[in-house]
Amino acid sequence: MALSLTETWQNTLASIKTWAFTNSPWAIHYNSGSCNGCDIEILATLTPRYDLERFGVILQGSPRHADVLICTGPVTLQSRDRLKRTYEQMPDPKFVVAVGSCATSGGVFLGCYGVVGHIDEVIPVNAYIPGCPPRPEAIIDGVVKLLQSLQKK
Amino acid sequence: MNILGPIINVLFFPAGLFVLIIGLAYLWVDRKLVAQFQNRIGPRWFQPLADVVKLFFKEEVVPDGVDARFFVGLPILALAAALTTALYVPLVGLQGAYNFPGDLIVVVYLLSVVTMSLALAGSNTASRFSLIGATRTLTQLFSYEAPFLLALLGPAIVAHSWQINTINTYAGTHWILLTQPIGFVIALVGLMGKLELPPFDAPEAETEIVAGAMTDYSGRGLAIFQLAKAVEMVVGLTLIAALYLGGIGNPIDFFAKTLILLLFLAGLQSLFTRFRIEQTVKWWRYAALLVLAQWVIMVVLGQGVLS
Ligand code: SF4
Repeated sequence: MALSLTETWQNTLASIKTWAFTNSPWAIHYNSGSCNGCDIEILATLTPRYDLERFGVILQGSPRHADVLICTGPVTLQSRDRLKRTYEQMPDPKFVVAVGSCATSGGVFLGCYGVVGHIDEVIPVNAYIPGCPPRPEAIIDGVVKLLQSLQKK
Repeated sequence: MNILGPIINVLFFPAGLFVLIIGLAYLWVDRKLVAQFQNRIGPRWFQPLADVVKLFFKEEVVPDGVDARFFVGLPILALAAALTTALYVPLVGLQGAYNFPGDLIVVVYLLSVVTMSLALAGSNTASRFSLIGATRTLTQLFSYEAPFLLALLGPAIVAHSWQINTINTYAGTHWILLTQPIGFVIALVGLMGKLELPPFDAPEAETEIVAGAMTDYSGRGLAIFQLAKAVEMVVGLTLIAALYLGGIGNPIDFFAKTLILLLFLAGLQSLFTRFRIEQTVKWWRYAALLVLAQWVIMVVLGQGVLS
């Protein structure tokens, strides 16, 4: 009896947790060497026209406050350590979204002398959003799909 | 019964759970209004609740180089101070749960404790952003505290009492807003400064100093600070409505008056851009002078004319 009660409690807690996480993803944006095309699209996504706040997304300044790390561009040698440090500063549970062709595969910068490669070579990525640069609609779609995948877990 | 009453007062109503729920609801109203002013749809009604619940479920990082006791204790101190003020103000039109002569001063200074613990939390880290944020928080606290206090004391003087309930009853028959318009404006803007809303959000300017004093807080500490801010907002709005807007006698009064004030707050937030810290201080210098001028006029004309 006591065991089943705790189990119910655990289930309830887990579902509350999922509900809270899917409804309030706070984001931080990190540019690890992008050409700025993707960054401009991300800023466009946050403008009143697309209004991500209706999904609960707020852009945060501090990695300590954020749940979702939005990365753009290939990882350059210089920014590799910073990207890692930003990721490690975020409290668990945390998610990473790679925005743009460069972030997903290295894109046009693949093979450059100063480029390590795509984001996944440095930190684990939860969602990829391809495009050069992806439209705001695509970015919103990617974020929503990430949240849906959380719900299924 | 004698023990049960205070426990209910502290844990559920008016402090505790009740004021937390009202605070989250008002936070949502504020965000929604600002979103509407900016031509956006805005957050859903449960958004502040979801944010706080999520933060409670997150890992809390205690960074190296901080005093862990202070790091954990300061948010709790802030929330406790904010919740205590809720016992003394006429929430939902009821008389404050407790009152004594002079509780107006106590409430104003308990509201400052919230800001003080924020500043202490900021200076208790190794992060330079928190340090700058804490310095700015304190600078701003010193600049708005005097005009804000003077503005709240105006009604106290015409009501011949330092007790919130007495002033509230007095204000029920006299609209102090009409006789002391400067005091009202400065009290309202002072509340914006206290809550660090734009244009007075230099202490947490995310484009310059990441998140100000809150930079190193994550999870639980951040959530408790947000709750403290939400409670502070409700208490501040209630205080201004009770003192200036003809008192608060019943729940309809309470919601109508505080929500109208909130509408003004949201409008001012979306009208102005962020002041630099020294512009803020300059603004408050003029505000203090204005309140003092109003006090001189009050003294010269005598209380008979103004009351
Ligand atoms: S995907 Fe295209 S727009 Fe984005 S960083 Fe790479 S080259 Fe620039």
